[in-house]
Amino acid sequence: MSPPSIGLLIEITARTLAVCLPALAISLAVGLPIGIAIGRRRFAGRVPLVSLINTGMGAPPVVVGLLVYFALERNGPFGDLSWLYSPQAMILAQVVIALPLIIGITLAAVGSLDEDWDLQVRTLGVPKRWRLWLLAREIRMGLLAAVITALGGILSEVGAVMAVGGNLEGETRVLTTAILMYTQMGELEIALGLAVILVGLMLVLAGLLTAVQQSGRT
Amino acid sequence: MIRLRPFSAIAAIRLRVLCLSIAVWALLACSEKAVDDGDLLLVTTTSVRDSGLLAALLPVFEEQTGVRAQVIAVGSGAALRMGRDGNADVLLSHAPDGEEALVASGAAVSRTPIMENFFVIAGPPEDPARVRYASSPADAIRRIADSSARFASRGDDSGTHRREVALMKEAGLDPEARWPSFLSSGAGMGQTLQIAGEKRAYVLSDIGTFLAFQERIELEVLSKSAPSLRNVYSVLRVNPDRLDPVRAERSEQFEAFMLDPETQRRIANFGRERFGRPLFRPLHLEPRPEP
Repeated sequence: MSPPSIGLLIEITARTLAVCLPALAISLAVGLPIGIAIGRRRFAGRVPLVSLINTGMGAPPVVVGLLVYFALERNGPFGDLSWLYSPQAMILAQVVIALPLIIGITLAAVGSLDEDWDLQVRTLGVPKRWRLWLLAREIRMGLLAAVITALGGILSEVGAVMAVGGNLEGETRVLTTAILMYTQMGELEIALGLAVILVGLMLVLAGLLTAVQQSGRT
Repeated sequence: MIRLRPFSAIAAIRLRVLCLSIAVWALLACSEKAVDDGDLLLVTTTSVRDSGLLAALLPVFEEQTGVRAQVIAVGSGAALRMGRDGNADVLLSHAPDGEEALVASGAAVSRTPIMENFFVIAGPPEDPARVRYASSPADAIRRIADSSARFASRGDDSGTHRREVALMKEAGLDPEARWPSFLSSGAGMGQTLQIAGEKRAYVLSDIGTFLAFQERIELEVLSKSAPSLRNVYSVLRVNPDRLDPVRAERSEQFEAFMLDPETQRRIANFGRERFGRPLFRPLHLEPRPEP
């Protein structure tokens, strides 16, 4: 077994990002509005809903992987998509993992606003279309915490992407599944090299997001 | 505008406390599992574990000797590496070349064949590459490559993967060759079979794991038995110089146990109940039962 070339390492790293970043983008696009909406409104059934989301924040990725597997397998309800063992399946699983994290942290951040924040904004005569932007600015610390948490969750996750991706070389092999594979193969040095790349990637991305989070802080 | 206390600080602290408690708990859990003095560290391949054979044999071993074998199941490549690094007391693997190299290097002192079964080439019943009509396993692999049919390779340096490579060499193919739709899973046998079933790919598998997954995957055995599909499992004792003397003695006990006629009979009968046929053929039982 020849050690993987630099090109292969770059390819695995690129594929990791090509799976994680779309998953993160979809989770944000769906999760932020839902989190803000639940955070600002009071309605019947809110508490059970929030506790459901909080449960989802702790959902074991490997269980998520198993459920997505059953949904996508050949004889499953969405078997016709032929998504199992493809990057699409991995993105789907990661969205299911990241979405509760985004919603949960966002709605908690919105909940931490003063009760009369709305009133103040309205009193100041802020037009309606700017209020959401103002809100997002107000809770940006929380929002970025949500992004960092979700990214960390899906970037480092291995159980679900292994179950629904299958670690196929050149198709669904990402850093975490490659690390697992090389460890099981006894190629510990290669596994360690990939681990350094993974941690470095998280360091860079978290660093960037933290810089954004902390900028403009007074 | 009123400056609001950011939520993230609290969230981060809570998260850290949570993570820390999980880490502490995990460490405690790991330390409990550490091998203690009554044990023998047996490193074996996933196919042996997944077949359920060890679960049937080891309680008997413990009863007879009082030694509790801790089983670590990894690919044969990793098993051999653990033997080389002295992270195992005894190995049960199926990668003859690597095993002989381990003995030659002095890391292991003996290689004792215990039992055998065989590999099969399975594929979709439609059989687009016409593997059914292949004259030999190597010819089957050549047909798959020539027709660019999907092939799900283990790709993980396991005993099974080494056999794929050997067959490709025998077929005159470059083992590094990748025809379109060649899949390399880098996963265990069970998952590779599931991938093959889902992608309607050909796959090389040991017969035991194949039978265990047969119902789920809708693939058929397309190969006939042949010497190049023979799959021998051997016990390797790690060099006693590298081990605690007590552990060296236990690894000898394990080797003797696997060669014991009673154990060999158990191996011969293992699998009849679940699969209607034995999964392994013992090599030290006279007269030899037919597989």
